[in-house]
Amino acid sequence: MTVLDKKEAKRLLKAEKKAEKHSQARNLISRRMNVFFNILLIVFCILIIFPLWIIIISSVTSESALTTYGYRLWPLEFSVSAYTYLFRDGSIILTAYKNTLIATVSGTVLSVITVGLYAYALSRPDFRFKKFFTFFSFFTMLFSGGMVSYYNMTRSVLGLKDTVWALFLPMAFSAYWVIIMRTFYQSTVPEAIIESARIDGSGEWRTLIQIVCPLAIPGFATVGLFSAIGVWNDFRNCLLINDSAKYFNLQYTIYQTMNNLRFLKENASRMGGVNVANLPAETFRMAMAVVTVGPIIMAYPFFQKYFVKGLTVGAVKG
Amino acid sequence: MSAVNPAKPKPSGKHASQGGWKRQAAYLTMVLPGVIFLLMFAYLPMPGIVLAFKSYQMKVPGADSFFKNVFLNSLVTSPWNGLNNFTYLLKDAPMLIRNTVGYNLLFMVVGVILQVGLAVIINEMRNRKTAKVYHTIAFMPYFVSWIVVMYALYAMIAFNGFFNQIATSLGHEPIKYYGQKQYWPWIFLLANIWKYTGQGSIIYLATLTGFDEQLYEAGSIDGASKWQQFRYITLPQLMPTIVMLQILAVGRIFNGDFDMFYSLPNGSGTLRQVTTTIDVYVYDMLKKGNLRNSFGYAGAGAFFQSIVGFVLILVTNMIVKRHQPDMALF
Repeated sequence: MTVLDKKEAKRLLKAEKKAEKHSQARNLISRRMNVFFNILLIVFCILIIFPLWIIIISSVTSESALTTYGYRLWPLEFSVSAYTYLFRDGSIILTAYKNTLIATVSGTVLSVITVGLYAYALSRPDFRFKKFFTFFSFFTMLFSGGMVSYYNMTRSVLGLKDTVWALFLPMAFSAYWVIIMRTFYQSTVPEAIIESARIDGSGEWRTLIQIVCPLAIPGFATVGLFSAIGVWNDFRNCLLINDSAKYFNLQYTIYQTMNNLRFLKENASRMGGVNVANLPAETFRMAMAVVTVGPIIMAYPFFQKYFVKGLTVGAVKG
Repeated sequence: MSAVNPAKPKPSGKHASQGGWKRQAAYLTMVLPGVIFLLMFAYLPMPGIVLAFKSYQMKVPGADSFFKNVFLNSLVTSPWNGLNNFTYLLKDAPMLIRNTVGYNLLFMVVGVILQVGLAVIINEMRNRKTAKVYHTIAFMPYFVSWIVVMYALYAMIAFNGFFNQIATSLGHEPIKYYGQKQYWPWIFLLANIWKYTGQGSIIYLATLTGFDEQLYEAGSIDGASKWQQFRYITLPQLMPTIVMLQILAVGRIFNGDFDMFYSLPNGSGTLRQVTTTIDVYVYDMLKKGNLRNSFGYAGAGAFFQSIVGFVLILVTNMIVKRHQPDMALF
C-alpha cells in the first residue's frame, strides 16, 4: 500500500514538474533557433580557444618539425624538450617565475589590506572627511601625470628601478577597486551590526576586524583576484621601470624573448652549459607562453563569479 | 559618486553622524596606507606634466641644488620652451589621432554589437548549463595577457605560421603579415573582439537578467515572436545601458590599449603608420635616447592625452548625468 502510494506520489510530482516545465517552455526560443545558437557559440568558442591551442601544440612539437613544417594544428613530431630546457637550473623563466610569484602574492595581500581599509572608511557615514578622500582617490581615475613623468618618478625619485618592488607596488592600489569594495561594504554589511558593536563598546578597528571582515570576504576576494591578475599580467610597469633581466617578470621576459633571440641566447649560456646552437628556440618560446598563461587558465573558472561581480559593479565606474 | 550607494546613510543627529575624535582618528589611520600609495604613484607624477613645456636638459644636482635627485633637479632647471614641443608633435599628430581615435571608434561599434549579441544569445539558450560553459570560455581571453596574445598571433601569422601553412598547402604564396600594413587594422580589430567580447557581455547579461519576466510573458501571449520580443522589449530596455557605456567610452577615446598596440606588431618598423597610437608614440619618444629633448617631446604627447582625456571625461560625464544620473561617474 505505502509503496504504491509512494510511487503514485512520485508520478504525480513528475507530471507536475513536466507541466511546469512545459508552461515555462512557452516563451523559449524554438528548438531550431536553439540549435543554430548552439552552433554559433560553439564556433565562437573554438575561435576563442584556437590561438591558445596553437601555442600549446607548437610547444610540444619537436624543434626540427616546427622549423620544417611550421605551425600546425597537431604536432607532427611530439617532443617535450622545450619544457625540460625551461625548468633547467638558472633558466631565465625560473627567475621570472620567482619574481612574478613574489610580486603576485605581495601585491594581492597589499591590495586587499590597503583597499579594504580605505574603502571601509569611505563607507562609513560618520567619517568626517569622507568626501575629501573619496575625491582624492577618484581624481586619479580622471587625470594622470602621463607616462614620461611616471617613468622618471618611479625609476629615479622613488628608486624602484631594478627591484622586485617595481613589479607590484605601482599596481597595489586602485581607485576602481575602492569603488567596488565600498559598494560591497555598503550592500552587505548591515549598519545595525556596526551600531550594535559600537554600543557594546567595540572600537572602530575591532569592529572592522572582528565583525566586518568576516562578512566582507567575498569583496576581499574580488579585489584580491583583480589585483593578482593585474600583477601577473603586468607588462607596462616592468617595461618602464626594470632594465635588468634579474628583475623581469614573466610577461616582460617572454616579450623580450620574442623580440630578441639574442636575449634568449645570452641568458641561455648562463643555463648550466646548454649548447646554444641546440636550444630549441621556437618551441622554447612557445613553452614559455604556455607556462605564463597556464596557471591563470586553470584557475579562473573557479574564481569567475568574483570577476563577474567586480566587473558588474565596476563596468560603468571603471 | 552617490550613484553606487544603495544603502542610504541613516539620518541621525550631529553627534552620531560625526563621532568622536577617536573615531575620526581611527578612520584617518585606515585611509593612510591608501593615501601613501596614491601620493606615490598617482599624485607625485602629476606635476611632471610641465615637461611638455620644457626643453629637458639633464643636470646633475650640485651642493646648492634644492632637489638632490637628477630628474627633479633637471625638471626644475630646464628652460621653458613654450609650445615648441607641440610643434614637433604636430607633424605626427594626424596619424596619431587617426590611429587612436579611429581604432577606438571601430572597437566601440563592433564591440557593442557583438557584446549585446552574445549576452542576448546566452540569455536565450534553452540549456542553462551549456550557456554557462559558453560564457566561461568566452570570458577566458580577459585573463590572457597581450604578451601571450602576441605569441599566439605570431604562431598564426608568422612566415611559417598556421595561416601561411594553410595558404601554401592550397597553392597560394605565403604572406609576410609583419611587413604589410593593410592587414593590421583587421588584426587589431579581431584581437580586440577576441579579448573583450566575453568580458563586455557581462554587464549586458547582468542588465538583461534583471528585466521583468512578465513583459516577455505578456509579449508572447500577444503573439510576439522572439525576434519581436528582442526588438520591442529587450532592446529598448537595454538601450540606456548601451548608450551610457558608449558615451563613457568616448571619454576614453584618446587612451589606447598600450599593451596591445605596442606588443602585437612585434616591433615591426614598417607597420608604424598603422600601429602607433598616442601611448605608443609617447613611449617610443621617451626611449629615444639620441634625441636631445626626447622627454619634452614625449611629455607633449602625454600632456595632450591627459588634458584632452580629462576634458572629454568631464564632458561625457555631464551628458550622462543629465540623461541617466545612476550611471554617471560622479
